[in-house]
Amino acid sequence: MNFFQTIFNYIRETYTDRLFYFPSNIRISLLIILFCVIAVLELYLYISFRRAQQIKRKRDEAKWKEYIDNMLANLVIFDESDSTEDIVNHFYPKMSKLPLRNPVVNQVLTIEILTYHKNFTGKIQEVLSILYRRLNLDKKSKKKINNKNWEVKIEGIREANEMRITEMAGEIIKYTDDENGLLRMEAQAAYIKLSEQYPFRFLDRAQERILDWHQVVLFEIITKNKKLTIPSFSHWLRSSNDTVVMLCLKLIDHFMQFDAAEEVQRLLKHHNPKVVKKSVEIIGKLELADAEKHMFEVYFDQPEDIKLDILNSLGKISSGNYNDFLSSRIYSSDPKIKMEALYAIKRNPNYGEAKLREIYKQTTLENQALIKHVLDHRIKH
Amino acid sequence: MKEFLATFETFFNNGIFYYAMFVMGSYVVLTLLSAVEMNGYMKKNSYVNYREILVSPLAPSVSILAPAYNEEATIIENIRSLLSLHYGNYEVIIINDGSKDNSFQRMFDYYQLEKVDFAVNYQIQCKEIRGVYKSKLPSFSKLTVVDKVNGGKSDALNAGINVAAKDLILCIDVDCIVQEDALLKLAKPYLEEKYQVIATGGVVRIANSCRVEDGKLVEVNMPKNLWPRFQVLEYIRAFLMGRMAWSRLNGLLIISGAMGLFDKNIVIKVGGYDDSTVGEDMELVVRMRRYMYEQDRRFKVVYIPDPLCWTEAPGDLQILGRQRNRWTRGTIETLWMHKDLFFNPRYGILGMLSYPYWFFFEWLAPIIEFLGVSIFILLALMGNINWEFSLILISMVYFFSLALSTVAILFEEMSYQQYTKGGDLVKLLLAAFLEPILYHPLTVYWSIKGNIHKFIGKNNWGTMTRKGFKQETPSDEVRQQTTTI
Repeated sequence: MNFFQTIFNYIRETYTDRLFYFPSNIRISLLIILFCVIAVLELYLYISFRRAQQIKRKRDEAKWKEYIDNMLANLVIFDESDSTEDIVNHFYPKMSKLPLRNPVVNQVLTIEILTYHKNFTGKIQEVLSILYRRLNLDKKSKKKINNKNWEVKIEGIREANEMRITEMAGEIIKYTDDENGLLRMEAQAAYIKLSEQYPFRFLDRAQERILDWHQVVLFEIITKNKKLTIPSFSHWLRSSNDTVVMLCLKLIDHFMQFDAAEEVQRLLKHHNPKVVKKSVEIIGKLELADAEKHMFEVYFDQPEDIKLDILNSLGKISSGNYNDFLSSRIYSSDPKIKMEALYAIKRNPNYGEAKLREIYKQTTLENQALIKHVLDHRIKH
Repeated sequence: MKEFLATFETFFNNGIFYYAMFVMGSYVVLTLLSAVEMNGYMKKNSYVNYREILVSPLAPSVSILAPAYNEEATIIENIRSLLSLHYGNYEVIIINDGSKDNSFQRMFDYYQLEKVDFAVNYQIQCKEIRGVYKSKLPSFSKLTVVDKVNGGKSDALNAGINVAAKDLILCIDVDCIVQEDALLKLAKPYLEEKYQVIATGGVVRIANSCRVEDGKLVEVNMPKNLWPRFQVLEYIRAFLMGRMAWSRLNGLLIISGAMGLFDKNIVIKVGGYDDSTVGEDMELVVRMRRYMYEQDRRFKVVYIPDPLCWTEAPGDLQILGRQRNRWTRGTIETLWMHKDLFFNPRYGILGMLSYPYWFFFEWLAPIIEFLGVSIFILLALMGNINWEFSLILISMVYFFSLALSTVAILFEEMSYQQYTKGGDLVKLLLAAFLEPILYHPLTVYWSIKGNIHKFIGKNNWGTMTRKGFKQETPSDEVRQQTTTI
């Protein structure tokens, strides 16, 4: 005990009476020690408190989740012959008695309704939508959408989106060109689903970039939504926003929009190589024979990756007009170009493989190896 | 003489003190930066539905490159685990680097391989490829096996790059446990950054004492052995604090060799992995970065804090020492190979900040620490030490280190909270108390040894013995695999 008392007295004296008499580096060190000790103690307390709070919250959530889950499970197994209104009237009184002022209950109920709404269709989905509104959860979503904090806005947009609260489309469109990329993307995704009149209106006014990641998300929504009326995306191919052009090209590609052919050909001279590359890909996929000569014209000015795409597209079109050109490419110094040209020749269903066998007999050992590679069906191109 | 000693002591005290202040200051800045980066990442990614990349035809394509050398005990299981990753557009390329055991034969039999007429485009130099094999079974169509003459890990990866058909390459250690969604998370930055992303890396975690079933991690536990436990703390500090901060600054110099996703075109343009260094992972990133600067192209190297890959840490001091020795030599070699970057403004943050940081704090810090301790002992023997002041200075370093480790544990708690059991958390906190006394001096010693080995020309990789992940099941025979990596 005496030992600890001595240490305690030493520390107290060091920090009270002696501190200002130490050289500056020792003084600084003592202050750092003090700061670190206090920080460590506080961190320990915070970590312990946080863990305890987390355990309590998890327990609460689990309890309410089980209760709400049971309630919603009953809703799912409700008699088919009952009308939507009857089912709603049966469940609403029970649900309205839930302590919705408790944030845990509110959050669990919202999440559970959203999850059930996502996983069911028809009458159950309809009942959930009505209950959502009757419980005033839609008003809470609207409040979230107008919150200052972008994370809360996103939460609100997601809720409105899942519950198909179409009247909120007007609130959401203002965020479709927001500076915050995540908010912008969520708003665009929700707007496509919620706007009944003109879901692609945001593309007209998009000044901010639609990042590749956002394009993946929007592409999924647009291509998987069967209720959506698909417009002709060539309408936006003259947009000054290159990312809008890219998204539309990907959609033209997916929906095989032949009416965009002329506009796509024009993009072969676009300033952005990504746009040129995608246009070449589409020309090949849509087998636009008229565009062959345009691709040939630009071929020699392009970087290697676009050259490879042009060869690939010529192969897909396989009109026969550029056979000599393709054959001549196997004398290129770039093995990738050679390989792509050989694949392009092979693509011709009538004489592709025969032509390769003919070339095989007359060419160098290196090219022979490439031809064997191209003819091996076990190797994917 | 006395006067000289007094002057030397003052100079020594001040020099060491201000250097320590500088190092500690830099750690504080890095901690703050990583807090900002982590917070941003956690917020941003809490809204992400990775399923969208999984099913999208627009997702980037990936070739997984896994070199294998004498891995017959686990190779089948490891490949199966790689083939079951959650991603749409990818291929798995296993490079058998001239294994002396039955690794190749086991793959050949199990996956029913057959040789294909693959014309290898040797864009990067590598040892002779004896053959490229594909499975006859359609369910393994994603698998390609490359059989080549032994040339080491870098050479094997270069061979894999020559065969890879996709846009991105994921270079991994074949014996790592990869999280199923690892590819989705690593690929996402390639789709969302404003500038070209040339490499992404994720957090590597320690799997000792964790429960592994069918090549998948099913339960996370704190290592029972003390040395891997210290490494858990060290990895959390390095990955969640250090690398996240450098990612924020876009000054990251290293993507862990255990797992990194790279832009294949840039890797080919810089000539692939350099097999003359034992620090090939760091060296490649430095070379890729300098290439981008030289081309005047804007780019990013991104680190993500998600635990994506689990590896077995050395539990034996001798093996751990060899690993750290190799890391030190790798650092020295990379710094020496790119010495012209030192404070070179042409290379932006790489030349002005990242390189000097690695020079002063990663390479020089253990040397200065070692010198400091040696001179301290010398002065103590000569009776020229103020013990009270010394104790205060040592306490400052100890408590700063403790505070830093505790902040790292807080980061872990607030982000992924992998150690959910209360007992594991207490063990981690206790490890933070002991680490500066027990573990840190050893890391300094190994680093000094690495420096000495480098300068006397002892440049081997060292033998790494792994126990394997099945040790948790008592009935299972403990596998011993010896891998020269």
